Amino acid sequence: MAVDLELKLAALTEATLAKGLAVFRQHLQGAEVSYLNACVRCGLCADSCHYHRAEPELENVPARKLDHIAAVFRAHCTPAGRMLPGLVGAKRWDRDMVRAWVDAVFGRCSLCGRCSINCTIGIPMPSLFRAARRALGAMGLVPDDLQATVENSLQHGNNMAIEREEWVETLEWIEEELQAETGDPGARIPIDQQGARCLFTVNPREAKFFPLSLQASAKVFWAAGEDWTLASDAGWDLTNYALFTCEDDQAAAIVKNLTDAMTRLGCQVLVIGECGHGYQSARWMGPEWLKQAFPFPVVSILELMDEYLEEGRIHVDPTRNPHPVTLHDPCNLVRHGGISEPQRRVLRRSVSNLVEMAPKGLENYCCGGGGGQLAMGQYRHRRLKAGGIKANQIRATGARIVAAPCHNCIDQLGELNKEYQLKVQIKTVAELVAAALVTPLLAEVQP
Amino acid sequence: MPSPLVFGVLASAAWAVTGLALLRIEASAYGRRALHAAPAGDPAAGVRYAFTGAMRPGAKESVREHLHSYVAGLAYHAGIFAALGLLVCTLVGWSPPGLVRMPVQAFLGLGALSGSSLLLKRLLQPELRGLSHPDDFVSNLLATVFVALAQIGGTVWLLSAMALLIYVPLGKLRHSVFFFVARKNLGAFFGRRGVFPPGGAHGR
Ligand code: SF4
Ligand code: SF4
Repeated sequence: MAVDLELKLAALTEATLAKGLAVFRQHLQGAEVSYLNACVRCGLCADSCHYHRAEPELENVPARKLDHIAAVFRAHCTPAGRMLPGLVGAKRWDRDMVRAWVDAVFGRCSLCGRCSINCTIGIPMPSLFRAARRALGAMGLVPDDLQATVENSLQHGNNMAIEREEWVETLEWIEEELQAETGDPGARIPIDQQGARCLFTVNPREAKFFPLSLQASAKVFWAAGEDWTLASDAGWDLTNYALFTCEDDQAAAIVKNLTDAMTRLGCQVLVIGECGHGYQSARWMGPEWLKQAFPFPVVSILELMDEYLEEGRIHVDPTRNPHPVTLHDPCNLVRHGGISEPQRRVLRRSVSNLVEMAPKGLENYCCGGGGGQLAMGQYRHRRLKAGGIKANQIRATGARIVAAPCHNCIDQLGELNKEYQLKVQIKTVAELVAAALVTPLLAEVQP
Repeated sequence: MPSPLVFGVLASAAWAVTGLALLRIEASAYGRRALHAAPAGDPAAGVRYAFTGAMRPGAKESVREHLHSYVAGLAYHAGIFAALGLLVCTLVGWSPPGLVRMPVQAFLGLGALSGSSLLLKRLLQPELRGLSHPDDFVSNLLATVFVALAQIGGTVWLLSAMALLIYVPLGKLRHSVFFFVARKNLGAFFGRRGVFPPGGAHGR
């Protein structure tokens, strides 16, 4: 893979280098330029990064990653950088700096934002790492496997290239399972239900590998008597890997699948399944990519389940989840999404013993799988090593089950489970709620 | 008629302020992103939190784990502000009463010590040294010398003030402006998303 990058670097023309720099500059707004002027290189952010905590070396310090970017900015965009490059650490944009950027922003960063809240100054570093990724993208330097995921979404309407027929068959099969589980032949997984209140969106991994989590969400909707639907065509996949390639036009095209489906089906609420980056993409970035406010609310299924419980639309018995459960906080959902309390309230009601990790919530550690890391095979070794911090956190709780409201995180946690011999089960929040549901009908099926 | 030294300090201060203002204007000229997503929380509350609660050791692991550096940083900045205050007094020809002078001297002493300790840390810790540019050493030296000399005052101190003020817009001392801009943006960003203050939009 490193050979691949070297080949690509060798093939870079001066025009391509200039294009990358121009795209970088275009992406910068006043806020980012201020951040590029703000770092005092105090180094206090070092251990806020799971990469650095796992491997304490200079290149893993967030400020070092930032400095590779700032060095180029200083050289090309500031008088001090042009006149006194050695003094202020300015470096011209060349192949060495391109290599440093690729390594820093793709190879050593999951865009988790933990460094931002720990920065002495308060620099939201991912916004600069995103600008750098975008520039590298314009030069054709997004890792191929990550870009392939985006291409799948653009061509097939979902990132796993699942064809419509396969998707619908999967849903029909899960519906049969749901009916058997609930004992209710009326329990449905509605597809293309015109005018349904909620359009539910999922991660394609649920259809391929985790049908039980989709079934669990459907069971919660069934118990709540929700008026919901899934789309059969583009508009059911909540993922948007262009959030990580930072190619905003492609991100806009992908999120448009969701808004188009909302219009096509006449739904009122866009419900995002358990996925951190999917939530950030639809709730926060989508309107920015499309440059317009959405005429409907975008909510996480966690908020919905919280509401159902609060309003008494569903009832749960926590003793049905007797083992200690800990909760993983996906960065895109919690630190970048603002959803940290609903899942806690839901779990406190649905499981017997919720053991929090330390630190948690806003201060959570990234599992290591964010920022597109799971889709970039060449950095797998680093990803698993950096994920060791999360593995230690999980082990320290003594929990037997990890609730992870994000399918990306679930994949990474699954790998950490094996790598670090954690011997835990990893479930979505909906799976735990579904297991704890109490309804008169369920009482007959599962006395 | 001000003495040439006082005039020099005033000219350096004008250079520093103009330089910082130009840097800020230049940054703003890059434009501002219009935001379309419906806010979940209050950006203003986020900004308030960013400048208060978010800087507490309880909310910031980097502070909890580096209390020495945090305290040294606070003392260093207190020393710098005390020295700047004293500089203004000197320029306007006002001598603070003894009651004020005592704490000011204490701030200056602690500030100079803290500045030196931070410089030493930067020199001795390999990772921090690797992260540093000459600018980091120059900025620290200029500020520390300015604070240390403020305790005795006089010509050399005024010369050190001139050197410091001339350097302000050239290197990282520009954070005197960009700290506020960055932290405000951080607060507004997280406030809007209901992340700051914690519990924010989804707390009951
Ligand atoms: S904590 Fe912030 S100011 Fe200090 S080195 Fe890290 S990024 Fe720079
Ligand atoms: S965003 Fe996360 S992964 Fe990236 S440098 Fe900051 S702490 Fe490390």
